[in-house]
Amino acid sequence: MGKLLMKNQSKEGIQDWQAMFAEWAEEAPEGPLKRYYQAGMIAPQTALQDTPLLALDLETTGLDPSQDEIISLGLIPLSHKTIRCQGAKYWMAKPQCSLNAESVTIHEITHSELEEAPRLHAILDEILLALTHQVIVVHCVAIERQFLLEASMKIYGYPLYFPVLDTMDIERQATFKPWWQRFGRRPSLRLDACRQRYKLPRYKAHHALTDALSSAELLQAQISYHMDPNADISNYWV
Amino acid sequence: MDVELTEILEALCQHAPFNEMADDPQLNDMTKEIEIRYVRTGEWVIAPSAPNSTLYFIRSGALEVLSKENKLIRRMNEGELFGYYSLLRGGKSSQSMRTIEDSLLYCIPARWFLKLYEENDIFSDFFELAREVRLRVAMESQNSDVSLMTCPVVSLLRRPPISADMSSSIRNAAQVMAEHRVSSLLITENDELTGIVTDRDLRTRAVAEGLPYDTPVSEIMTHDPIVMDSGDYASEAVLKMMERNVHHIPIVKNGRPIGVVSTGDIIQKESHGSVYLISDIYKQTSIEGLQSISRKMTHTFTQLVLADANTQMIGNAMSHIGTAFVKRLLQLAEEKYGPPPVPYCFIALGSQAREEQTIKTDQDNALILSDKYNKKLHGEYFEALTDWVCNNLDKCGYDLCTGDIMASNPRWRQPLSVWKDNFSEWIQKPKAEALLRLSIFFDLRGVYGDKTLALQLNQHIRKEAQEHSGFLTFMARNANQRKPPLGFFRQFVLDGEGEQSRTFNLKERGIAPIIDIVRVHALACGSDKLNTLERIEDIEAAGLLPNGRAKDLTLALEMIGMIRIQHQKEQIENGEEPNNHVNPENLSSFEKRNLRDAFHIVSRQQEFIKFRYAGKRS
Repeated sequence: MGKLLMKNQSKEGIQDWQAMFAEWAEEAPEGPLKRYYQAGMIAPQTALQDTPLLALDLETTGLDPSQDEIISLGLIPLSHKTIRCQGAKYWMAKPQCSLNAESVTIHEITHSELEEAPRLHAILDEILLALTHQVIVVHCVAIERQFLLEASMKIYGYPLYFPVLDTMDIERQATFKPWWQRFGRRPSLRLDACRQRYKLPRYKAHHALTDALSSAELLQAQISYHMDPNADISNYWV
Repeated sequence: MDVELTEILEALCQHAPFNEMADDPQLNDMTKEIEIRYVRTGEWVIAPSAPNSTLYFIRSGALEVLSKENKLIRRMNEGELFGYYSLLRGGKSSQSMRTIEDSLLYCIPARWFLKLYEENDIFSDFFELAREVRLRVAMESQNSDVSLMTCPVVSLLRRPPISADMSSSIRNAAQVMAEHRVSSLLITENDELTGIVTDRDLRTRAVAEGLPYDTPVSEIMTHDPIVMDSGDYASEAVLKMMERNVHHIPIVKNGRPIGVVSTGDIIQKESHGSVYLISDIYKQTSIEGLQSISRKMTHTFTQLVLADANTQMIGNAMSHIGTAFVKRLLQLAEEKYGPPPVPYCFIALGSQAREEQTIKTDQDNALILSDKYNKKLHGEYFEALTDWVCNNLDKCGYDLCTGDIMASNPRWRQPLSVWKDNFSEWIQKPKAEALLRLSIFFDLRGVYGDKTLALQLNQHIRKEAQEHSGFLTFMARNANQRKPPLGFFRQFVLDGEGEQSRTFNLKERGIAPIIDIVRVHALACGSDKLNTLERIEDIEAAGLLPNGRAKDLTLALEMIGMIRIQHQKEQIENGEEPNNHVNPENLSSFEKRNLRDAFHIVSRQQEFIKFRYAGKRS
């Protein structure tokens, strides 16, 4: 293996999602979210190659998690070596507020398509079931985590948290050079730009399932270049 | 909600065969079962001899396909599919695939491949057509041209390395070289190669300098000489020799010297020895002498095979050797019985005429006499001459023809006008049964004597054949008599008799049908060529075959011929009598696969001539 990207964490500093899940399982109100936490999380010592991974992407009405809403969500399962289309899932959700023209042009989901879709609260149970016991792969954790947390608060009255491999963060670390080694601008961390560094094909962005696939593929490339499949997942998850 | 992996489906649908299958709803279902892999440069996708159960689609990146011998067969890029070959054959793969760029691969499960292959014609046609292309690629990768390009440098080694220790005196070194009759000596220290001494070094660095005989050889040797690895090609040795102006290159294997290749070895190799053999034949003055040369023929044959000569080269060499025997025997016969009273031409028939002889062939020959021939006056002379020649050919390894088609048979020893009448009769009033036996006469080449007699006869045959299309119908029918041994599910059909029960006859069922097919077309277009490949060129030029089909025939012939030659070479090496019976169990999967493809081509071409020369419905 070439250079390995790993956080130098002390034993105490290890983020133990397993322990946290156990705690939240106690606190969460009865219902789907409690069951989600009760199902537990893998141990931090689990090797990356044994970790069940699920790439996730969502499209929203805007960028503000407190105001905007999730309108579609795509999932695709993978391992460190293989992406399995078989388990791919995709949902659309009808937002409370009407769509503005701007966001329609971005993700090309039209009013009429959404008109027929269920409300998010009707499908979040199902989504939780899919997320159970999985380490989530996203590009830029802030958006996905925040939107799902807000949705969970609204629907279950308790936050939804999950461990994440953030392909943007991985790329940031992989491309990091001290300032004195860096010439010119820092490389772009946009999904498409990251993919190009690994000779991955260009995809049409802004479809939740395609974007989930995009980050799944990116993670595979990153694993093969920068990560050790035998290393503990706790080195990578956030 | 129905999940559509649009991105994947769209990527597939930009390439054949999926681009024409867009309305097949199964495609969407298939897409859902795809797995995606990212493979970095230089990694195996299908490792050598690993089983395979996946159809791969290259979404991005590039791969190379390697043969079992690790030779590069081809490169594949975005949008291409691979792995289907092994899927059609139950998972065994003889080729291996390795990425040459970081690649993103879509892995389609075998069951989807087989399902679509069964159910969708566009899909299966795509892989059917690819078969002929594949065969072409497989053949081209065998690199059939000059042997030096393809033979490894080790094949040039003629003896184990002759070496001496660093501390030896130059006198000692010269003695070793003299004893072994070599022009170079490897110098070693603790079995490690440290230098080389050549005749020239002894001359210029020792004798001319007046060095004492007890000078250590290390003083005059070339230190750290250029070496080559046993796996390198002979052509690279030639380049190195020219580039560095050296005449000897030590060959090493795993760091240890295993011999020396000299410029002489290369010249020898280039001429395949067959040229020397032929000149030797002409030097012989006795049957014994000729017999002793004929015993070397198996060696020449195996050398040619080892040198990666293609079937065309081998057929050519063997036919020229055969012709040399005939000519020399006729020269000797004329010395014995005196000059011929009237002109004659000794003609070769069948494979020798086509210059496609292999190692083991019966003699098929005849004699055309000038029309001045008078049986009463000249009959005895030609009877004696041909008897003597045919019997001695037999002694030289060319067995007497079981069908008695030989110049010694008075029926096949006729004046030109009688021959012409015979052919006119055969062509104008064809009888299926008779033609089957006579087809050998339609490959006819003058080898000795007045060759214009053979030319005139060939002209006559061409003219008659073109004027009587009904005759071609008969010939086409004959060419369809022997079917390639392919049964249902592309299984090989075995011939099933006695010792040969587990084999099929490559010549009868593969090579002969192709030769027959080509002969029909050649007669149809009035080609004056005899060699099958040359005939194919004429046929193609005449536009008798659909595009690409001429090339297919060539490839099929070459592939089947190649397997036959390999088979015969192995028989010779095992001390067996070479024959044409091949047991499919002894073939490599590469050979089996290509043989199936070749037979498939033969079948299709047989179908084609049936329709092309259908004649009047009876």
